[in-house]
Amino acid sequence: MRRVSGKQVQWLKRELPILENEGILSSEKSREISTYYTEQTASGIHWAVLVFSVLGSLLIGSGIILLFAHNWEELSQSTRAVLSFCPLLIGAGLSAFALLKNRGTAFRESAGIFHSLAVGASIALIGQTYHIPGNMPGFMLTWALLILPLTVLFSATGPLLIYLALICGWCGAAQQNYGQATAFWLLLLPALGKVSAMVRVRRNDPDTLVSLFGFLSCLTISLGIVFERTVPGLWIIAYSALLAAAALFGILFYEDEDGFSNPLKTFGIIGIAILTYLFTWSDMWREIGWNYIRFGWHHKPWGVGFDTAITFALLLVWILAAVKAFRRHSLETLTLAVFPIIGTLGFVLSSGYGKTGYLISSLIFNAFMFYLGLMYIVLGCRNTRLRQLNGGMAVLSLLLVTRFFDQDFGFLARGLVFISLGTCFLVVNLIMSNRKKRLGIR
Amino acid sequence: MKKLFLTLLLVLISIQLYVPFQLIRSKERILKKGQEFRFLTRPIDPADPFQGRYVRLQFRNDFITQGTNSVHSLKRGTQIYAHLKEDEQGFACFYDWSNKPPADRAYLKTRYERNRRSFRIQDGVTNRISEIQIDLPFDRFYMDEAKAPRAERLAATAARTTNCWAAVRIYEGNAAIEEVYAEGKPLSELAAEKR
Repeated sequence: MRRVSGKQVQWLKRELPILENEGILSSEKSREISTYYTEQTASGIHWAVLVFSVLGSLLIGSGIILLFAHNWEELSQSTRAVLSFCPLLIGAGLSAFALLKNRGTAFRESAGIFHSLAVGASIALIGQTYHIPGNMPGFMLTWALLILPLTVLFSATGPLLIYLALICGWCGAAQQNYGQATAFWLLLLPALGKVSAMVRVRRNDPDTLVSLFGFLSCLTISLGIVFERTVPGLWIIAYSALLAAAALFGILFYEDEDGFSNPLKTFGIIGIAILTYLFTWSDMWREIGWNYIRFGWHHKPWGVGFDTAITFALLLVWILAAVKAFRRHSLETLTLAVFPIIGTLGFVLSSGYGKTGYLISSLIFNAFMFYLGLMYIVLGCRNTRLRQLNGGMAVLSLLLVTRFFDQDFGFLARGLVFISLGTCFLVVNLIMSNRKKRLGIR
Repeated sequence: MKKLFLTLLLVLISIQLYVPFQLIRSKERILKKGQEFRFLTRPIDPADPFQGRYVRLQFRNDFITQGTNSVHSLKRGTQIYAHLKEDEQGFACFYDWSNKPPADRAYLKTRYERNRRSFRIQDGVTNRISEIQIDLPFDRFYMDEAKAPRAERLAATAARTTNCWAAVRIYEGNAAIEEVYAEGKPLSELAAEKR
């Protein structure tokens, strides 16, 4: 059944008699349309209800953890041990109820979140009761593995997001305690499977979009942690490939959608803009490459092979995305697809040509950032998209303002450039708003 | 389909209940059947975001003075079995280690940390002693959030003048803390006293 917001259906039902009176629609067609929207569509999720129920279950779950963390010494050890099962039993009951009776998305999400938090609470409470020594990675891994099946059984986003947060946290804790967190890639596989299935079946549903944002955030943060950093600067190629692939898959799966409706593209483009900005600084390119391989007790001997394998895997994903998305022949697709090539070029130049290499790499990225900003301004004007236009101007302004402070310009020159940039922003936005109004675009 | 999902959910809930149940069972077994040892300690008071406030125990005897085995094959984190006995004052001390659990003496399943050297003066002569530091798997004693900081203060003062120790039960190499004592009283009792 299609999901259409209740507000839109109400608006349509108000419009139908008007269209009937105007003679545009016959009364029979009007009745058919009305019946279709009443019987064949379901009202979409009410965001406020969903947000508050998710927030409510998060607060209750966290509250229970804190309540037990107080440590009720008045209660005997055995009473506390029995009580430790209570949150888990309540969570399990709620989940079973949500599965048996279809009480809507809000209830399902709340039950899933509460159940997921309750698992962690129960293990933590038993640890407290029996003075079990702190082992953060072990605790997080047990918690994550115990809620993993919930992400599959429940058609809810909450447990998946908690699972992603846990494996991301495990990654950091394991890297600190054990010196490596390679198992992260295995833990990520089920989440990847779930998110891929969601994109295939219902790619435009809000829960799919939120899950995609969660998945990309987890992957981006964890990639930096899992990387052994034995070869300095290899992360530049890995991140360039990851973000470019995300943006290209966004164009492939969601086509012209942007903003929240296209999490892959939005995440990829914002990431690319941030990386590009970082790479405009020549310091970022210093002492990188194979000549600076790190040794020592905290750098594993297998780190070189491991980091290279991850980088190659990400490059393969990027090639796949680029080949598939290239069919669209658009300027944006071409720019995003080329980004990892420029990143690799910068890495090769900086690792092979010393100071000249650093300078050339940073100059290339200054030019690329200028082009990126300009491209989005042009695309925004051409497609009448204010978001693209403002994004492009923000990128361009950031570059100009930074380079402006970087080079020692006088106050007068700085003042004039700031005023010009501000005026450009205002005038272009005004023109665009008027144009949109004229064209009747909301 | 719904039946299948419900069955799978029930299986999952059973596993989720089994994990904490197994944790409780193993600790209860140690507390019931284990031999009691007293470990000299010094408490510090930190907090855990999930489990609350606890007194962190820094043990005085967290090393093996001498061993009959070679330490060359050991890497940080390698599991070993530390043999333990009571010293003249009745406190636990480690005196040897092995790669396999010994059959005829008390032992603790632990992990090798590092080699260290210390100096001891005996009959006016300074001796250099090789020791191996081990990780004691019972370094937290959870307490009421209000009592823990006070307990830590009192126990730290007590540790300077008198002994502060943790009563630990050990069974088949696994350990569980029973109580922490300072000035001869349980820590929770000491913290509850008005001074």
